[in-house]
Amino acid sequence: MRAFAAAIFLTLFTAVPAWAEEPAVQWGVDSLMQQLSAIKHSQARFVERKYLKVLKEPLELSGTLTYDRPGYLQKRTLKPKPETLTVADDKLTLENPGRKQRRVLKLQDYPAVWGFVDSIRATLGGDIKALERFYRVELEGQPANWRLFLVPRERTMKEVISLVRIDGHHARIDTVEVQEARGDRSVMKIQEEVP
Amino acid sequence: MTLPARARVGIWLGLILVCALVVARSQYSADLAAFLPSSPTPMQRFLVDELREGVVSRLMLIGIEGDDQKNLAALSRALTMRLEKSDRFAYVTNGAQDSLRADGEFLLRNRYLLSPSVTVERFTAAGIRDALEQQVDLLSSPTSMLTGNLLPRDPTGEMLQLLDRLQGQDKGPARHDGIWFSADGARALLIAQTRAAGFDIDAQEQALAQIRAAFGDSVTEVQARSPRLVVTGPGVFAVESRSGIKRDAMRFSILGTLLVSAILLFVYRSVRVLALTLVPVASGALAGIAAVSVVFGSVHGVTLGFGATLIGEAVDYAIYLFTNTAPGSTPQKTLQRIWPTLRLGMLTSAFGFGAMLFSGFPGLSQLGLFSIAGLAVAVAVTRWVLPELVPPGYHVRTAAGLGPSLMRLLARAHHLRKPLLLLVIAAVAVLAARGSEVWDDELSSLSPVPLPVQQIDRQMRADVGAPDVGPLIVVSDDSEQGVLEIAEQVGLTLAKLQTQGVLAGFDSPAFYLPSVGTQRARQQAIPDSAELARNLAAAARELPFRSGTFAPFLEEAQTVKRRAPLTAQDLAGTGLGLKLQALLAQRKGRWFAMMPLRDVSDVKALEAGLSKHDRSHVVLLDMKRELDALYHGYRLRALGFAVLGVLAIAVLLMAMLRSVRRCADVLVPLAAAVLVTTVILLATGTRLNIFHLVALLLVVGVGSNYTLFFERGGPGGADPQRIVTSVLFCNLATVIGFGVLGFASTPVLSAIGTTVAIGALLSMVFAAILTPPLPGPLTGYSELR
Repeated sequence: MRAFAAAIFLTLFTAVPAWAEEPAVQWGVDSLMQQLSAIKHSQARFVERKYLKVLKEPLELSGTLTYDRPGYLQKRTLKPKPETLTVADDKLTLENPGRKQRRVLKLQDYPAVWGFVDSIRATLGGDIKALERFYRVELEGQPANWRLFLVPRERTMKEVISLVRIDGHHARIDTVEVQEARGDRSVMKIQEEVP
Repeated sequence: MTLPARARVGIWLGLILVCALVVARSQYSADLAAFLPSSPTPMQRFLVDELREGVVSRLMLIGIEGDDQKNLAALSRALTMRLEKSDRFAYVTNGAQDSLRADGEFLLRNRYLLSPSVTVERFTAAGIRDALEQQVDLLSSPTSMLTGNLLPRDPTGEMLQLLDRLQGQDKGPARHDGIWFSADGARALLIAQTRAAGFDIDAQEQALAQIRAAFGDSVTEVQARSPRLVVTGPGVFAVESRSGIKRDAMRFSILGTLLVSAILLFVYRSVRVLALTLVPVASGALAGIAAVSVVFGSVHGVTLGFGATLIGEAVDYAIYLFTNTAPGSTPQKTLQRIWPTLRLGMLTSAFGFGAMLFSGFPGLSQLGLFSIAGLAVAVAVTRWVLPELVPPGYHVRTAAGLGPSLMRLLARAHHLRKPLLLLVIAAVAVLAARGSEVWDDELSSLSPVPLPVQQIDRQMRADVGAPDVGPLIVVSDDSEQGVLEIAEQVGLTLAKLQTQGVLAGFDSPAFYLPSVGTQRARQQAIPDSAELARNLAAAARELPFRSGTFAPFLEEAQTVKRRAPLTAQDLAGTGLGLKLQALLAQRKGRWFAMMPLRDVSDVKALEAGLSKHDRSHVVLLDMKRELDALYHGYRLRALGFAVLGVLAIAVLLMAMLRSVRRCADVLVPLAAAVLVTTVILLATGTRLNIFHLVALLLVVGVGSNYTLFFERGGPGGADPQRIVTSVLFCNLATVIGFGVLGFASTPVLSAIGTTVAIGALLSMVFAAILTPPLPGPLTGYSELR
């Protein structure tokens, strides 16, 4: 009985602010996407922690993120070792100066990579069509504190990623958490640089 | 020949029956390789066999177009599923990951046998530590999720190495929806490999029919609107060119027969005599096919097409007989007069083609045998059977009417000698100026496949990324293991040259199936269980890996260490198996490995690098150049045999006529006709190939009949008007019969048709011009009897 009361309380507690704050506007995925798509360019720092089953302690990486509407995304890792991932439209480039490696992939040839890249790129661009191509999209929360759940649709993606969770406020993304199918997990915190 | 008429007709009927039985049971082929030499060097024989039955010959490229990508992809999946169930195909793929999964599993299972970096050093503590440090790097990479899940099984990253090497080989086609598409996205692509060899046209035809049927079912299933199916590949070409040749040969010989019959009907005014004219032709054709079938086991489509043209010469025999029979005389009497000439004409042709019989090229030998048997039977039937069948008292009326005007023309023909001399000089000048350019030395010029179809094939090949026929190294040895071992040594040389930038890359059967020696060495490089565990622990000491992570690696390494070495059977059913089959083959007891090279930038450095390998086992080949050279040599030899044939004809004529002057009278017009015909062909933009050469030989055969009859006004006691008229009718029949063939779409048939039609016409005209004017009926032929 107490549990039941707690459940009701929780429901009320989480539900109330949504209509208490902006009762007049029907806020949802579409309006969030519209908000996000208004941003043409963004630059941020990130800190990513990878929790891997094979490792005793998480890996910590940091660097910068650059996004230009509609198709350009660059993730430049600076620590612990420099490595750059650049996506321009359907081409992905991986550069590792330490190993003197440069690889170019076509996203179409690697559906799982494509889906992973677009979980971030399409969210940044507010491109709901691109998101829904790979994921079932669910939104929770309110404009000042929202959480997007991306659940892969297709088998090839499900074999790699089980869930992507993106937290944000208004048109900003704060955290991207990727849960991999085999139990590994990475959490990337993003700090917007204000130009 | 004192047999009674009844007995002769009876023998003939019996012979026809036997021939018909043989023909009915004959096998037909359309294998281009029949026109390649049968006893070349081992390397050339390997190439020819490769074309006939190698994996390349079994490959079918399938394209689906004319709908949106979603439907095309669905069709591609449905078609693949159906074809995979068929036992006619060894392998079918549309590029979907499912079909490549077997490859990945094979590589993973056998990574320690296949990876070149499996050495003793690799599994020492230091070696493992290097590898693990790299793995930590990889784990921090943004795409770690794709590579990382193998880490516990494969800490040294062998799988990644293997995949890298494979990806270096070919980029593969573009993909949409996970399925292969052409670069422009308009055509879904599939590759199928038939179980039957490319030269087995019946089996290829059935495989093709199955693809079409499966496609029809797929269209119904997917409910696509109006997609089109395009199938290309050597087997498909063989099927289509065979049916094309059959269709053309059938259609044009019927048309030619009809036209010739119409003329003969006009001349003879008797259906019965017309039918009789065709008796020697039909008998000869039957006998020719039967002879080839018995001697060679099968009849080539080209021989058959060529055989249809036998009408051209064999029909002449009956025409000579009927047209030369004057009112009140009998065919028997006519034959007594013209038989020596007829026989000499037949022998001339037979000598010409006889040379081909010994050429050593199965295709040409067939043509030779066919012509000789066909002509001998045709002339024999004309001599011993036909006269018995002619209605008593029959003679050709039209002949008498035409005679006088023809004689007037003929009397003035010698005025054209000077212009003709100039024409011949000009022709020789043109030929001399063109030199060897006269010949088309590309093997593809023999291809019976129409140009647009060849272009679609090229396009689809490029889209699929099927390797071009380019430079490759061929390694040969007595055993499979031997050839793999040499390929591995050559591979080391090539890898070194690759780092020097001499070439961009190469492929080798040893990538997919290393020699047993190499596999064993790799197995021995893996330490035993306790030592490997010790080395691993030492390597991982200061690294962040959780303990126990690599237990699967320790276990799998020991499993691989103990297992039996891989054999070719282990690759069955995978795309890698298909590759292996394409690169490793056994032909007539010898093993061959092919190592295709990519982007060779420095041939000299490559040759220098390869020079340390034994030349009798390792040969650098440029496939296209080699094949064209093969054809060039073949064409030269065929030309040689044609010249021999002409020489044989000259010797024959000398022996029979016993006069250089008379020989020249017979041969000079023919030589002029051949020269001018060649120049006319060149002027129309044609470059000559082997078929033109054979056709020119036929011109000499047919034309010699004209010049023999013209020479000195023909056989003793004959009416020159009737002789000239008969030659004209013969010529008309030949020009029409072959001229019609000139419109065939099969390149072989049209080449022969055009050449013979022009050549025969010129032979007659030139013979008329060059033969000395006739003083009147002559009686100088008695010595021939």
